[in-house]
Amino acid sequence: MDATLTSRGNWQSILGRYPFVPALIILIMLLVFNGMAEPNSLSFRSVNGLFKTYMALMFLAVAQTLVVSAADVDLSLGAILSLVNVTVVTTIGVFGDGPLAIVAACLVGVFVGFLCGLLNGFVVAGLNLQPIVATFATGVLFTGIALWVLPVAGMPVPSAYWRLYGGSVLGIPFIYYILAGLGLAIFLISRTTLMVKILAVGDDQQGAFQSGLPVTRIRISAYAYCGVFSAFAALCITGDTASGDPLVGNAMTLYSIAAVVLGGTALSGGKATLLGAAIGALTIGLINSLVFFVGTPSEWQNLVQGMSILVALMLGIFVSRRVEQ
Amino acid sequence: MSKLRLRSVSKRYGATVALEYGDLDLEAGEVHVLMGANGSGKSTLSKIIAGSVRPDSGIIELDGKAISITNPQAAREFGVAIFYQELSLAAHRTVAENICLSQLPSTAGVFLDRQKMIEIAERRIAPFLDVVGDGFSVNTQVGQLRADQRQLVEIMKTFAQDADILIFDEPTSALDRAQVECFLNLLREQKAAGRCIVFISHRRDEIFDIGDRITIIRDGRTVSTKVLSETNIDEVLIAMVGEGEAVAEQQSQSLPQRTEIGEIKLVVEDITNDSLQEVGFQVSAGEILGLGGLHGHGQSAILRTIFGVLDLGTGQIFLDGAAKDLNSPRAAIRNGIAYISGDRRRDGIITDRSILENVVPVYALKKHLIAASPNTLGKKARMALELLQSKYESLAHSIGSMSGGNQQKVVVARWLMDAPDILLLDDPTKGIDMATKKELFNLIRELAAQGMAIILYSSEDAELLENADRILVLNNGKIVRELKGSERTRYNLYHAAYEAA
Repeated sequence: MDATLTSRGNWQSILGRYPFVPALIILIMLLVFNGMAEPNSLSFRSVNGLFKTYMALMFLAVAQTLVVSAADVDLSLGAILSLVNVTVVTTIGVFGDGPLAIVAACLVGVFVGFLCGLLNGFVVAGLNLQPIVATFATGVLFTGIALWVLPVAGMPVPSAYWRLYGGSVLGIPFIYYILAGLGLAIFLISRTTLMVKILAVGDDQQGAFQSGLPVTRIRISAYAYCGVFSAFAALCITGDTASGDPLVGNAMTLYSIAAVVLGGTALSGGKATLLGAAIGALTIGLINSLVFFVGTPSEWQNLVQGMSILVALMLGIFVSRRVEQ
Repeated sequence: MSKLRLRSVSKRYGATVALEYGDLDLEAGEVHVLMGANGSGKSTLSKIIAGSVRPDSGIIELDGKAISITNPQAAREFGVAIFYQELSLAAHRTVAENICLSQLPSTAGVFLDRQKMIEIAERRIAPFLDVVGDGFSVNTQVGQLRADQRQLVEIMKTFAQDADILIFDEPTSALDRAQVECFLNLLREQKAAGRCIVFISHRRDEIFDIGDRITIIRDGRTVSTKVLSETNIDEVLIAMVGEGEAVAEQQSQSLPQRTEIGEIKLVVEDITNDSLQEVGFQVSAGEILGLGGLHGHGQSAILRTIFGVLDLGTGQIFLDGAAKDLNSPRAAIRNGIAYISGDRRRDGIITDRSILENVVPVYALKKHLIAASPNTLGKKARMALELLQSKYESLAHSIGSMSGGNQQKVVVARWLMDAPDILLLDDPTKGIDMATKKELFNLIRELAAQGMAIILYSSEDAELLENADRILVLNNGKIVRELKGSERTRYNLYHAAYEAA
């Protein structure tokens, strides 16, 4: 009995420190399933493709985690992604195709994402509106602006942009540099005092206020960073789709929340893992590719996808509950 | 000159007056006790100094200069740190992160300096190292700690702010004696270093042990300030209650003399589970059996096991001679067992619901009620509440509108609507003012006299000694001694509790 107790204790401390472990296990299981269904799906090319397609969702999931950590939520980040996407594409159209113009356009895009996040933070934390409703409203607003900037989808980006995103630098696919960048960002953000404060706010807002933390400012910062990471996601999607689309991101908002939860983050706040969110996003990607590779008829794909995400969610929660008991 | 001075400070919430008139003088190097019944305004006064509540009117002077404390950050800059009664901890953060939360050490102003944070935390933990108990380290998540350990973290967090003015709002309610001793020693050090300390506690030993002066609050007004060495508990109680005669007179009566004890109601045999070892005893009708010893050594576990919350393990429970399988609180309630816990938030009140709904659930369960009119139920509820002289505006008011002591009365009333045979009391007076405590114990003794079998655990030894006919002393989940008759002395109780520790 002692042995089982201590092994459970070990699991508890592992899970306490690395809450993304169940998500990682599910990810590995999915990799194995994918390999069994279609060995080709684990080839270097396919994996590159997977990252290329789901890099945007990984960034979005990390963005969402930042606000969820503070027990808030952002339903506008898909719309932010769309807005940044069309902003970058049209700005490049104005500045010209040169590399400098592209970089400048990307910076403009990131700044737009930051402003959107700031606005979200202001309405949610500053004006104390319900996060779900408030960010739903700002999301509609951002979509409106995106449609004004680019009413119809289809404006192409210069080939230099998407060739770089899909190509290689020094023999390594560019997507892995982005992946490394995301990893570094996760590593650094997890070690900031701000992240500890955001989590403390998510745990117990009143307690954090009474401890002398500037709660409103902390929540606004979380939304602002969320906006910045949504903008990064937009830069990825722009590279992947090679065009502007004012509605490209709207469907991704809820996927980002699913990814966050799959990764081991609690929507009630205070308990979060940025790495887990990225893993959760990949999990969704692998589920989708698995559904494709086992040859599900197209009319059944949504159903199987939804069920698989549910099963993955249940597995993760089942594991952590067993351990925490 | 006073370090901090409050003049006619007040605070209302809508029609409710939380603090009508607060006057307070704090000297450097003193421990200033605030005392008053629950809901009299002690916490509000503390929170005004700490900036988490903004006063409606009044003057606050620091070192002779008028200041305004707009929020907790401002308070920190003025050198105020506070221990919150309801704690201000983040459950998923580690002990170290919580201790340092107000001033997280950083490198380059951005990244958390984990090593330095752990150093700071370890320095604050050091004085408590021998008393924190198992499963406590800088890296433990606070949510996984016991209640007393969480309280210690809040204490460490308060000290970690290195403030000149320290406020402790009931810092010892969940602590055992050794932990309290450690804490009081630290307070003495802080006092010697010239800090001024506001101290709120319902434990009279502590107050007279550590306090220099005492300010008494009654119904939202500070009524008097006295030097503690020149006063006594009776005077304090009288000032606190206002119409003091009744309370002062009860003070002299102690050690109930009762010889008539009925037949055996409850027999517990050989319980061994996660927190208990070979626990066995019996209780008779009309008897009050006390559970003593250091806090958290199995007293609650015994009560919660009998009530069907914890797994019975290998043991057996007999009611009126018949073996019973009490595997859930439902089963226990239907067998005539009642459980009243001092942890109102966890085990007692149903937050945000009306007083009526808080009184009737047990009755409804026992009577298998499916539908009932509020009128009929209300009559019965009122009768139960009157037994306890509860103060409430109407049964439809939310339980949250009552003070802590009155909330606990509602919880007690819940069980008295349909009187149980066996009453389990798990530190029932935690965080309740002295006057209400007295009323509750008078009632408990009366219930025993009517033939109820009662098991009482109290973290205050005085309560045990004054009320229990027999005391079982626990250590590490084991019964180490039984104190009967004239053996029931403070010395014996301490002795047995510390013997094996």
